[in-house]
Amino acid sequence: MPELAFKSSAPLTFGVELELMLVNTRDFNLAPDADDLLRRTTRVAPQGELKPELTQSMIEINTSVHEAYTPLVTELRATRDVLAGHARKMNVALAGGGTHPFQKWSDRKIYPNERFLSVSEKYGFLAKQFTVFGQHVHIGCANADDAIYLTHALIRYVPHLIALAASSPFYQGVDTAFDSSRLSIVNAFPLSGTMPLVRSWSEFNRYYDRMVDLGIVKSMKDFYWDVRPKPEYGTVEIRVCDTPLTVDRAAQIAAFSQALARWLWEERPVEVDRDLYLTHSYNRFQACRHGFSGTLVDAKRNDARPLADDLRETLDVIAPHAQMLHSEPALDALRATIDDGNDATWLRHTFAETGTLTDVVRRQAELWARA
Amino acid sequence: MPDFLPAWPPAPNSFLIFALLLLAGLIGGRLAAMTRVLPAITGYIAAGFLLGPGVLDWLDPATLGDARLLAEFSIGLIVFDLGRRLDLGWAGHDRWLLPMGLAESALSFFAMFALLRYAGTPMLEAAVAAMVGVATAPAVVLLVANELKAEGPVTRRMLWHVALNNIVAAIGVTLLLPFIEASQAGTGLNPIARALWLIGGSFLLGYVAFLVMVLLGRWLGKSPVPQFVVAVSMIVATVGAAQLGRLSVLLALLVLGVCARNLDRKHRLIDVEFGRAAQLFFVALFVLTGTTLSPGQFGAAAWIGLGFVVVRVVGKAVGLYAFAWPAHISMRQAGTLALALTPMAGLAIGMTRPIYDVAPEFGARLTAIVVSGVAILHLLGPIATRFALIRAGEGEPGARD
Repeated sequence: MPELAFKSSAPLTFGVELELMLVNTRDFNLAPDADDLLRRTTRVAPQGELKPELTQSMIEINTSVHEAYTPLVTELRATRDVLAGHARKMNVALAGGGTHPFQKWSDRKIYPNERFLSVSEKYGFLAKQFTVFGQHVHIGCANADDAIYLTHALIRYVPHLIALAASSPFYQGVDTAFDSSRLSIVNAFPLSGTMPLVRSWSEFNRYYDRMVDLGIVKSMKDFYWDVRPKPEYGTVEIRVCDTPLTVDRAAQIAAFSQALARWLWEERPVEVDRDLYLTHSYNRFQACRHGFSGTLVDAKRNDARPLADDLRETLDVIAPHAQMLHSEPALDALRATIDDGNDATWLRHTFAETGTLTDVVRRQAELWARA
Repeated sequence: MPDFLPAWPPAPNSFLIFALLLLAGLIGGRLAAMTRVLPAITGYIAAGFLLGPGVLDWLDPATLGDARLLAEFSIGLIVFDLGRRLDLGWAGHDRWLLPMGLAESALSFFAMFALLRYAGTPMLEAAVAAMVGVATAPAVVLLVANELKAEGPVTRRMLWHVALNNIVAAIGVTLLLPFIEASQAGTGLNPIARALWLIGGSFLLGYVAFLVMVLLGRWLGKSPVPQFVVAVSMIVATVGAAQLGRLSVLLALLVLGVCARNLDRKHRLIDVEFGRAAQLFFVALFVLTGTTLSPGQFGAAAWIGLGFVVVRVVGKAVGLYAFAWPAHISMRQAGTLALALTPMAGLAIGMTRPIYDVAPEFGARLTAIVVSGVAILHLLGPIATRFALIRAGEGEPGARD
């Protein structure tokens, strides 16, 4: 079998994929209007790319590749404005958030293309339950071995990213007590989790070939890992973030990931070994369940500390890199979020204030369209 | 016979009639569902037709008595719900929406009017009949949409058009009333004042009912059960007040629904679902509708009824196709939308009642003109809407079985 080719890309370039929910403006339940929105945007296309997703109430924005935070956020805002205009004409709205707070998963309709129908066939009810909305960040890598290192090293910071982006406290009409309930849905898939502890691209290829030979996967798309190399783009893809409630937050999280990657590559502070993965599921759960208040266990340092403290420390340590990348405003905004609360906090406050999840989604949609 | 025993033969009371309507509807609906082609509504109507004067003659207007109240109540729920689908803000964002709705209404009106004139119907009667024909049956489209759990762009537009063409038809018929009245000898009433009373009064009633609803909503908070009771009681009160004031029940309830959707700025009201309890009344409504059909309606006048039905659909289709490109809807969507708007039940929703008030003979002639069209559409309409929504990929057969 030929080796999986890793396409080289300019290091530290980055781009964002955002999965968004389409809701009706009557009761703010999900609306199966992805096809119509896609058809309309062929006439007045936004920058980047617009794609269907697994079910018909989802749509995905892919940005262009960027070098810096400011052009990324500018593009995201412009795309949002174009899409919001189309949505208004269709009498639907778009919203951020990792889950729709009260939709019934069984009511969803699979988007009728070959790939999604095959996912539905393969995974049964999990496919419809996968109507959850995530942000993926791609970081450009010069070569495959750099990508393997970054894929591992970012594992240490998965809880930080989860807490910063968490926006799915409500699912199927109830408060789950999680800040990010979305990742619990992802966990149900057999190929979720993390990349195995391979040290090089050639070792990765041996693993990949074996999985293909065994008939478990057909392509890299079949791995639903938290962080995965994306050889055809020449990137590492971070997949643990909920779609934030605003495009600005999405861009800030992308900028954080970029600065983090720069620091990880330049200083190689994370040692890739079994200890790194020993605590991963626990730390990931803590971040999903408690957000910034979660505990972060570090097997190397042999200690446990509040995630918020480790996140502040991380922001300090990557600050010089953010300066080089011109993304300090993004990191300042994230630092404020640790004190003010993440999107999950905003959603819970909104529910406490309005009393219904319909009103919560209405406010989510309003926030997405204007912020 | 001992006096503690009931009279023989026992006369059925309203409860037994209601039970009969429900059971007959249940059986009819189940049989329709088993065909995998027919919507449940067709089964309800067929059951009513069998029980009615046309076939078995178990249920006639005299026997039905109070059961008619159920029909009024069901229509109240449906029309209010329809009003809630009319988002006026949408017409602001999509500037082609209103022109498209008006074009579809106007073209179907002119098509039906031209056909009736061609068939020799007098001018005024043709105009009123065509105006009644503009309205798509809200009960049929909403129930078929609910049965299929339909949701999506075609369903949303369909309900918007139904709400709009009902408003157009109700106002149009009301505006024609003075002419009907003027054609009657020796009425002595001011026909313009009557039209103003009907339209203005109905709008005012709907608006006042909305204000009361919001006040109660604010006081009760956003609990679903109290809000449900508020909605139902305000609908019933509006039906009652409209009948008392000889206003248009249809317009008043539409206005109530439209206000609830568009003027509740602080979102005091919950979008309550009427759910399974309401389903009981809808079954009874359509079985009752079936009892009004008779085989004769499909006989001699059937060709004009059929023509009426065909030109009506064609008129709507032309209006929708003409605006499809600027409105960013596909030709396929325009086609399914036209088909979905097939059901017509102008008589069933009481649109002609004010005409009977001012000119009973005219009303009877009008009924004779449109009754066969309505009868045909009672059979074809639900099937067409069901087919259209499934074809649009927005409804699933058996979704709410």
